Amino acid sequence: MSQHSYKIEQLKYDLKKSILLIPAIALMIGFFIIPIFMTVYYSFTNLALTGSNAKNFQFIGLLNYKTMFTDPRMWASVFHTLIFLVGSLIGQSLIGFFVAYFMQKKDQTFRSIVGPCILAGWVMPEIVVALCCFAFFDTSGTMNAILQTMNIPGVKWLYAHPMLTVILANIWHGTAFSMLNYQSALGNVSSSITEAARVDGATRVQTLFRVTIPCIKDTIATNTMLNTLSTLGVFGLIWAMTGGGPGNATTTLPIYMYFQGLKNFQLGQGTAIGMVLLLVGAIFSVIYTKTLGNED
Amino acid sequence: MKKLLVILTLALISCSMLFASGASESSSKSDNGKPTITYTFRDDGRGSDQILWKWIEEGYNSWDKKDQVNLDMAPITASEGDYFTKIALQLSDPATSPDLVCEDTFQLPNDVSAGYLTNLDSYVSSYADWTDGKYYASMQKAVTGADGSVYGIPYCTDTRGLWYNRAILTEAGVIKQGEDWAPTSWDDILDACAKIQANTTDVIPFWCNSGVATGEATSMQTYEMLLYGTGERLLTDDGKWIIDSDSMRASLKFLQDIYNNGYGPSLDLVLNGQASNTSARKYFPEDKLGITLDGIWITGNWKSTGPSPVADYATKFGLAAMPTSKGQTPGTVTLAGGWAFSIPENSDAKELTFEFIQHLMDPEASYLSSIIEQGNICTRTDVGPIEEYAKQPFFEQATEFLKTADFRPQNDKYSTVSTAIQYMVESVVTGTSIDNAISQYGKDVIRTVGKENVVTL
Amino acid sequence: MKERSIKNTQYIILAIIALMFVLPLIWLILASLDTNASQALNMPTNWTLGNFKDVLSSNRNLRGFGVGMVISLIQATVVVLITGLAAYPLSRYKLSYKNVFMYSILFMTALPMIAVIVPVYKMFLTIHILDSITGVILYLSATSLPYGIWLMKNFMDGVPIELEEAAKIEGANIMQTLKMVIAPLMFPGICVTFIFTFSGSWGNFFVPYILLSSQNKLPASVLLYQYFGQHGTISYGPLAAFSIIYAVPSILLYILSQRYMSKGFNLAGASKG
Repeated sequence: MSQHSYKIEQLKYDLKKSILLIPAIALMIGFFIIPIFMTVYYSFTNLALTGSNAKNFQFIGLLNYKTMFTDPRMWASVFHTLIFLVGSLIGQSLIGFFVAYFMQKKDQTFRSIVGPCILAGWVMPEIVVALCCFAFFDTSGTMNAILQTMNIPGVKWLYAHPMLTVILANIWHGTAFSMLNYQSALGNVSSSITEAARVDGATRVQTLFRVTIPCIKDTIATNTMLNTLSTLGVFGLIWAMTGGGPGNATTTLPIYMYFQGLKNFQLGQGTAIGMVLLLVGAIFSVIYTKTLGNED
Repeated sequence: MKKLLVILTLALISCSMLFASGASESSSKSDNGKPTITYTFRDDGRGSDQILWKWIEEGYNSWDKKDQVNLDMAPITASEGDYFTKIALQLSDPATSPDLVCEDTFQLPNDVSAGYLTNLDSYVSSYADWTDGKYYASMQKAVTGADGSVYGIPYCTDTRGLWYNRAILTEAGVIKQGEDWAPTSWDDILDACAKIQANTTDVIPFWCNSGVATGEATSMQTYEMLLYGTGERLLTDDGKWIIDSDSMRASLKFLQDIYNNGYGPSLDLVLNGQASNTSARKYFPEDKLGITLDGIWITGNWKSTGPSPVADYATKFGLAAMPTSKGQTPGTVTLAGGWAFSIPENSDAKELTFEFIQHLMDPEASYLSSIIEQGNICTRTDVGPIEEYAKQPFFEQATEFLKTADFRPQNDKYSTVSTAIQYMVESVVTGTSIDNAISQYGKDVIRTVGKENVVTL
Repeated sequence: MKERSIKNTQYIILAIIALMFVLPLIWLILASLDTNASQALNMPTNWTLGNFKDVLSSNRNLRGFGVGMVISLIQATVVVLITGLAAYPLSRYKLSYKNVFMYSILFMTALPMIAVIVPVYKMFLTIHILDSITGVILYLSATSLPYGIWLMKNFMDGVPIELEEAAKIEGANIMQTLKMVIAPLMFPGICVTFIFTFSGSWGNFFVPYILLSSQNKLPASVLLYQYFGQHGTISYGPLAAFSIIYAVPSILLYILSQRYMSKGFNLAGASKG
């Protein structure tokens, strides 16, 4: 069989087997992919929502990109985005995993108390999450009040450690998603396998690392991937807590985009920065594919 | 299986079609043949109980043309920033454009240069109140675009000044019992701060918004209050942005003096988005703050219905005009903001809407009660002296400030430059040298407006 | 004995984590019971239930909760159905474009809403579906699909293929297999996808805000902003009460699904063991 006809065979197979994907693809092309392509196009124009460029916007080539890459704050924002991302990922995944892991086979009532506690931060609207965390980390807030009862001097969280503070806020907000994911995946790990390992003399920790984690490695990958992309887009939380400051210590790419682009309605500028976010997302996608690739 | 898919897809498509036709029908303007005025404003809660809603509704009910026109309320529920985004989207298309819109005078230049608003020159020329000086001249300037034409009728404004705690200033020896404080130069302010620092305990002498997080309040209420007090503006008369000058340096030096001498609040309190609320609702009412540079709306916090009630705030606190840098004429300075009624270019009922605006702004109809309820300063010279308005604590004085009030530039690049100002102010109060802060500001402004549009004095 | 102390330690650790996650809510709860709530942590001087009463006595708010519920429930159902279908070929067949497809739809979600909303608005304006709840549902569904597909495919991968083959031998077609065999086995996964999608649209402010304009169509997530006044002032008390009520549906959904999830555990365990 020639290479060519093999490809045609594969294509036929793909098409035949993809019918179930049609509703999903139709909906995504209509409402998700077309707007994104329009956004990509706008990044090469001087389109503005209002102001003099709103009337007649023009194709301006790479000018938006040039403006962006000559701004030192742009590189600082990329750096802050990465720190925010890594910090949030580690915190959310670890806490989410261990809560899910320990919650297995625990008392039903206990579970239905602990679960909603973790979930509370997730189901609040973003702006309320920000206000809660602001009140919590405020110099005269709950956190310092607790520290004082333990005779630990208060910390100026939002001023002295702004990045840490917004990461903690995002962990509070996002851990529930990882917890739900892992709870569901751990449910699929048959208890007889882990029990067999224990009977064979493996310690608890060994069982965890050699049996349980390999069993749910796909979920770990998916969860990390999804967390990565949702963390990249976090805007409202940081904006309401620090406004990207002090200085630009918490200016991540979405905040930078808002400042440079949307605050003054210069959409062309804003979307160009959005493209950098897309690029970062794409890079992580490639990294994850490469490290986890060939899963089937 | 295929059947189900086909059904599902068809259902989705037909659903969207169905609602599509429904939506376009509802947006068609007149039912029962009468023209409709669609009114859009920012909803600050309480639905039809809220002030802007009630005002328009009462105004409509008392309007002699009400039988010929329908009124359609279309409030927008959002924070201030998001309101502007939605407005800009709606104004850009006839299908979604309202007929009457509340515009922040700060946002007006943008919408004017986008061509979203109707030029009102021919309308105001026959509006007697407008030409007879019933509106403050400074407010008329605020709604005049860069082309010299009028684009809105201002309905409320605000002014800024130095609020002080009488007990603290008396204890510090700045004023005598029962005396008003009237600083005549920046040095007077710094002297007062020094006395508060020396003679009281646990009191922050001076507070002004100083960070990026407080946004426009930092640019307008702190930096521009200072810069305008030196006699300089952000732009030269021929429209070039000033990126370095002695006056700019003097303004930043004042801020440096405040913070380096420890007169200001600790930075963790002031460099966040809640700073204005912290000072107005906590430190100032609790006698932990001597002087705060803030706007008239601050009194809303202290009313019995406010979040931080102070029973005797009218006598406990005082308001002083912000002096010019060295006391040069006009002696005091304030910046005013405010909101205006504008008619979108895409409106299909312009004449009627303008008549409606005139009725709304009539103090004998509903304007007076509304402006009092809003807690804002009036824009009409004939309302200022009315007893019912003037008896509100501090309002007579704050309205008086309008006579020397100035405004932010009518330039559609201002909102971007404003961000650069906030960075500059924050970097100075966090210890960056004035030289470095100004040079960074210069770079930011050049990136926004281009090399050819800046100048160094 | 050792077994037992380990278990107790786990209980303690979980309790501590749960406690830490609840602490930031203290402010919210206190503020919702305070007539003069502020952003600082204060013991209320005047305790009140007035904030809750105000929020719940407003027809507008009740309507907003109702509309939000309709949008979120329909959207989550649509997403679960569509992703359930889509996940099957992605999980079971060797499709040549699979990886490219999966990763490219996903990385596109990195673009924040604020960057895409204007093209979306223009598109909705052109096809006349602005101010339509269906339009919002369709848009929210489309944008949740990438995550949904990932989640569903991942959970479906965890369902062993053997049972399915048994069903096939008995003459079931794919739809029947999906409904009768796979769906019950991956019920916990379906719950996660449902809750995730539901909470996502329940909390989504920007999309309904931009795409809807009629007052009676606004969901609760938009109405939240009625408590943000002029000059950055916020009515913290009613806002806090509103937020607490707002959080209830998602939490109820979770507790409800927990009950079913444990059933799912057993089934999955049985199939593998």
